[in-house]
Amino acid sequence: MISVIKPGLETSVQDWPGRIGYWEQGFPPSGPFDSWSFRLANVLVGNQPGEAGLECQFMGPTLRFERAAIIAVTGAEMNPTLDGAPLELWASHVVKAGQILALGPARKGARSYIAVAGGIDVPPVLGSRSTFHMAGIGGIEGHAIKAGQTLPVGESKSVPGRRVKPAARPTIGESRVWQIEAVRGPNDDWVDEAAHQRFVSVDWKLQARSNRTGYRLDGPEWTFTPRATNKRPEHGEHPSNVLDHGYPVGTVNLCGQTPIILVVDAPSTGGFINPYTVPSAAFWKLAQAKPNDIFKFNLVTVDQAHELRRAIDRLCTPASLE
Amino acid sequence: MIFAEPIIAPGGDRFVVVYFGDDAAIELNFLALGLKAALAEAGLKGVVDTNPCYNSLVIEYDPDALDYDDLLRELRALAAALGPVDTLELSSRLAYLPAMYLDPWTKEAIEDYCKRVKPREFDPAFVARLNGLSDVKQLVRVHSGTEHWVISVCSLPGLPLLRPLDPRCLLTSPKYDPPRLWTPPNAICTGGMSTSIHTLRVPGGYNLIGRTPVPMWQATQALPIFKDSVVLLRAADRVKFVPIDLEEYHDIEARVNEGTYAFNVTNYQRFSVGAYRA
Repeated sequence: MISVIKPGLETSVQDWPGRIGYWEQGFPPSGPFDSWSFRLANVLVGNQPGEAGLECQFMGPTLRFERAAIIAVTGAEMNPTLDGAPLELWASHVVKAGQILALGPARKGARSYIAVAGGIDVPPVLGSRSTFHMAGIGGIEGHAIKAGQTLPVGESKSVPGRRVKPAARPTIGESRVWQIEAVRGPNDDWVDEAAHQRFVSVDWKLQARSNRTGYRLDGPEWTFTPRATNKRPEHGEHPSNVLDHGYPVGTVNLCGQTPIILVVDAPSTGGFINPYTVPSAAFWKLAQAKPNDIFKFNLVTVDQAHELRRAIDRLCTPASLE
Repeated sequence: MIFAEPIIAPGGDRFVVVYFGDDAAIELNFLALGLKAALAEAGLKGVVDTNPCYNSLVIEYDPDALDYDDLLRELRALAAALGPVDTLELSSRLAYLPAMYLDPWTKEAIEDYCKRVKPREFDPAFVARLNGLSDVKQLVRVHSGTEHWVISVCSLPGLPLLRPLDPRCLLTSPKYDPPRLWTPPNAICTGGMSTSIHTLRVPGGYNLIGRTPVPMWQATQALPIFKDSVVLLRAADRVKFVPIDLEEYHDIEARVNEGTYAFNVTNYQRFSVGAYRA
């Protein structure tokens, strides 16, 4: 059992791959935003890669372990300490009963993951322990953790002293410029060739108003094809309006002139076009970007996006430990 | 207009979107729901989820279980096998939903908007006026006088997006600009050519006309109606709103909370598109 002393900023229980298969009932997948770091944290403590752990955003929590445990912290650097002594990231550690794990503000990256051997043992809701705070489901009482709460931990037989090989870790926060993959479509025929050129050639700046629902970007004005400017009235007035349609997770949703990348807690439908979609292999980069970071988009094909994702999946196994 | 062949476009590495046409003809939704049913029937391994809307269907797939090119081939074959829209038959239930029109809770949300954002006409009066109806009472008669078709359950948990099956009961209205800051959960609202029931307290753009005491979803699945599904309605179901007054609202709400409310939802019936269009 773990007691929450300080909750941090929106720290929540997540599992991977999240609440899958409920998009048609209005539930997003949720789950860890950077599932690469998340899965390696679990692998480090001997869990299945998808077991429930904590996602810490921008400012980590302070937790007291009421029982001995084996833990690992991965992802963003939030200077974790155990009873005040620095705790190595990307490694598994023994925590004695009564010890306090404290994470601070994110120095590099934005999201840290804390895995505990045995996993956070909360009841699954619709097949997942992931927190979806808008609907108040999953995790601890459906919301981010709060001071004074306790987090139940499952049973496990695990060994500490494992480390993730440096080559198997994502490179987080070395630069404030991120190369983000994007696949054209589904509505790439609504923006013109000049817009397509700009999309891959300019710097897009991440707005502070970004979260697990959507990532808002600042950039140049968009220009459109007649498909968008000369259309049936039921599509709406603005060129970016379209008759409501379903949204792929990761899609670059053009809301007026503001592109919003719809991410893990996004709505399933709406009335704006989606000229591009960020594939799952690039989600860890979105998760680790901070406001005002720069995104540069690189177009990839669907096949390339599959290959990139498989390459990450291959790293999220015990073979990546030393 | 129905496209001669549906347009299939990728949405990243786990989604594809199928568009059946470019307008809001309800037949395009029938086709989307026909493809959704055909996919389920085919039992294609690796199809994770489907998400229909006015004229489209989003398919989520697991690329480790289903090759992208195979999925496209399968979708084209299944779409072609649907045949003319009049031959479609869809599984559909009819749900009678108690609705308190002109209720005090949505009124409070409208008044709050007028005070904090900008003054506007009372939503039901606004929708009635725009649609040439004599008053809000006629709005209630028109809105509750038709079966509404569930286009999709989307955007929020259990939120049904509805269109009237009787075209004479079509109501159109522009959305709030700027959007409302909050909406009471279970508010019945209209916007564009549709009705929805907002299931969470969230911002919104549709005009508020009423509220139902009946939940659209229940995470705990404690009420028997939610035993097999966490949401009340599914795409291709039909909804008939039954006007109630404040006393009935409180009575039904109490029975829902006690777990003794009997939901009025029929078993699955076959909805024949041909018979509907005839």
